[in-house]
Amino acid sequence: MQKTKRMRKGRLWSLVTSVPELTILIILIAGGYLIMGVFSRVEGTEVLSPSAMWLIIVGCFLISTAVAVLAVIGGIGGGVIFTPIMLGFTHMDSLVIRATGLVVAMFSGLISSGPFMRSQLANLKVVFYCGVPITIGALVGSVSAIYLHEALGAVGDGIVRLSLGILMLVVAYFLFTGGGKTEYPVPKRIDALSVKLRLNGSYWEASLGKMVDYQMIRALWGGILFILLGFMGGFFGLGGGAFLTATLNLIMAAPIKIAAACSGVLLAISNATAIWTYITYGALIAIFAAPWMLGQVVGGILGAHLLIRIRAGFVRKVLILILLASSVKLIVRGVEGTFGIHIPIL
Amino acid sequence: MKGERPKPPLAALVYGEIVYWGVLLGSVIAIIGSTLAFLGDNFVPVSYWLSSVWKGESVAQIWEGTTGSLPMGHWYLPHLTTGDALTALGLSLGVFAVVPALFLSSAILLKEGEKLYGTLALVGGLVVLMGVLGLAPMP
Repeated sequence: MQKTKRMRKGRLWSLVTSVPELTILIILIAGGYLIMGVFSRVEGTEVLSPSAMWLIIVGCFLISTAVAVLAVIGGIGGGVIFTPIMLGFTHMDSLVIRATGLVVAMFSGLISSGPFMRSQLANLKVVFYCGVPITIGALVGSVSAIYLHEALGAVGDGIVRLSLGILMLVVAYFLFTGGGKTEYPVPKRIDALSVKLRLNGSYWEASLGKMVDYQMIRALWGGILFILLGFMGGFFGLGGGAFLTATLNLIMAAPIKIAAACSGVLLAISNATAIWTYITYGALIAIFAAPWMLGQVVGGILGAHLLIRIRAGFVRKVLILILLASSVKLIVRGVEGTFGIHIPIL
Repeated sequence: MKGERPKPPLAALVYGEIVYWGVLLGSVIAIIGSTLAFLGDNFVPVSYWLSSVWKGESVAQIWEGTTGSLPMGHWYLPHLTTGDALTALGLSLGVFAVVPALFLSSAILLKEGEKLYGTLALVGGLVVLMGVLGLAPMP
């Protein structure tokens, strides 16, 4: 027991010394929120008191940190948790939620880009090859979201909720079955395009204590799928990390660790494209989105460094329950919004 | 399988480090901006932003109560002395880090003779830049 405590303390201390920038950031955030609470000059409205506003900001930061940690352990993007819950259970505007959802989806991926590139888990060739189709898809998806919102209004929001609810059922299924992922896929036939693109590499596998070489396949199909995945992320305001990882692992035969790391970096690139549409349109309300961003940065680093030993199986079960509950609520609200009917039971 | 650990490519390191430190810089600016927003001047009062979002007002309704119309651009850039605009700058800077990272990485790859991947990084950077500049047609 004491040994475990000492080990935890040691890990925490090593995190403080090895990632000093995280410590400084946490101190800055804590100090900032303390000053905001004590010296606030914000006036209350009929909807919210000044203390309620402060609580919303601090609450969003804490929830975002927890979401980032859960997402890192569960191997999915934070947007997949944030966007369905907010769209299903709150009355906030769907564009505001989707813009903030992109912030939640992308910042843990952005911050992990550095460590993934340093450790060579993210393959630069794979990232840049898949980066082009996914950014194009993301840009088209985000613009389409604005068009649909403008053209169809409440009915458009209903369609978004309904289709997102169905999509979340697919994500829950993926998490439940593990998507048939394989740690080290061995391709039977290597296509000419993948060879020409040199979609291969090697990385240090700590569990085996040696370098592992890999060759990826189906470059063309992967590229086409990444256009669709980019569109989905930009349109719904979620990353869809589970789908990116599955595409890289199951279709393109990347080892699971490479697929997860490349998916994180690609998620960040595609959402970094999509979010500008929402920013310039005015759908990203910075004061509301900032605590979500900060929580993702802190939670993303913490999750990756500290909680790697927590049993992912338990977290996955929690995530499946969250996704199922959100998808049921989203489908109900989607049917209500799209067809103008009221479902009283739910 | 082999035993030696090769060094990561320079272009990958440059990409990762620019994004990492860009996001951290953006985060610091965002927390400073948020704090200032609660203490002093804002482009739009914090209470208005949060109450409108909390009430579930649409984006158009929210902006109607501020400038009268949707911003359709980077509204925060001319107002950087205010807390809410500084917060928006922090968020944007964190996201924008991807653009110089892609361009510099592309330059290194092209210099190393990796024409295909250098060009792909350049195209990726240009697509993101299209989004930044708001060049995509909007309704």
